[in-house]
Amino acid sequence: MSSHHKTSSTAVVAPNEVHQRIGVLTRQLHDSLSGLGLADKVKTWAGELPDAKSRLSYIARLTGEAAEKVLNNVDQAKQHHDHIASETRRIGALIVKDPVAAVAKGHVMNFINDVEQATQQIDKNLTDIMMAQDFHDLTGQVIAKVVTLAANIEEQLVQLLLITAPGDVVAKVAPDELKGESVKIIDEPVLQGPVVNPEGNSDVVKSQSEVDDLLASLGF
Amino acid sequence: MASELKFLVVDDFSTMRRIVRNLLKEIGYTEADEAEDGVAALNKLRSSSFDFVVSDINMPNMNGFQLLQEIKKDDKLKHLPVLMVTAEARKEDIVMAAQQGAAGYIVKPFTKATLEDKVNLILTKLGLK
Repeated sequence: MSSHHKTSSTAVVAPNEVHQRIGVLTRQLHDSLSGLGLADKVKTWAGELPDAKSRLSYIARLTGEAAEKVLNNVDQAKQHHDHIASETRRIGALIVKDPVAAVAKGHVMNFINDVEQATQQIDKNLTDIMMAQDFHDLTGQVIAKVVTLAANIEEQLVQLLLITAPGDVVAKVAPDELKGESVKIIDEPVLQGPVVNPEGNSDVVKSQSEVDDLLASLGF
Repeated sequence: MASELKFLVVDDFSTMRRIVRNLLKEIGYTEADEAEDGVAALNKLRSSSFDFVVSDINMPNMNGFQLLQEIKKDDKLKHLPVLMVTAEARKEDIVMAAQQGAAGYIVKPFTKATLEDKVNLILTKLGLK
C-alpha cells in the first residue's frame, strides 16, 4: 500500500462515521459524569461561567474606578500643595521686605486662612485615597469565587481524565490522592460576597439607604 | 468620654481593617484593635475589654454571623454593640443580622459619613455619647 493510500485511510472519514464517533465520545463523557455524580455539577458550572465573566468585568471596573479616584485626588491635593508652597514664598518675601506692613495689610492673616482651607482639602483628598483602597477587599472576595470555580472544574477534569485513561497510564502519572474513587468538590461559600449585577435582582439591596429602609420597616 | 471607647475591628482583609481604623480615628475614636476573623475576635473580646465591635461577615474560620451569635450568647459580651460592615447585600442577610442582634448594618463600599452616622447613632441609643 502506498503512503498516499495510508494517509487517505486515516484522514478521510465518512461524515456518518464522524457523527458516530462523536456520539460515542459524548456517551462516554455523559456516562463518566453520571458515574461521578457530576452531571448536575456540570450544569451548575455551565451556568457559572457567564457569572465568572461578570465577576471579572466587575473586578476590572472596580480597579479602574479606584485608580481613577486615586489619581484625581492626587491631582487635587498637589494643586492645593502647590498653592500653599507658592503663597509661602510670596508671604516670606513680603515679611522680609516689610514685616509690619505684611501683618497690617492682612497678608499674613489671609495666608493663614489659605493654609487652613488647603489643609482641610488635602485631608479630604487623603481620606478619599484611603477609601479608594476598599477595592482590595471587594475584588479579593470576587477573585476567590472565580478561583474556587476554576479549581472545581480543574479537579473534575482531572478525575475525568483518570477515569477514561488506560490503567497503566493512571498508575504512572496520577498522584495517590487522585487514584481513589472519591470526588473532591471544593465547597462554595454559603455567603454571596459583593453583588456583581444588582440590577433587576430584588433579593439584594443596591445602596445604604435601602439597607436603612429595610431595617426601619422591621422596626430596627 | 465617647472618644475613649475601645473598638474592635474584625475583617479578614488587612486593607479594610486599616481603612476602618483610620476612619474611626478621623471621626474621633482613637482606641481600636483588630482581628482577622471571628475566632481571633472572640479571643480578644474574652481577654480584653472593648466597647464596640465593627465586623465583616464573610470571613474564614468563623464568619460574622457566627461571631455575632457567640457574642450574644455570652453573658459577659452580649451587651456589646456589633456593627456589621460587609459586602453581603442580600436582604435575607440584613434581616438575619438584625434578628440576631446586630446594632447596625453597613454595605460596602461605604463612605466615612455613613460609618460616622451609624457609630454615633448606636452610641447615642446606648447612652454612650
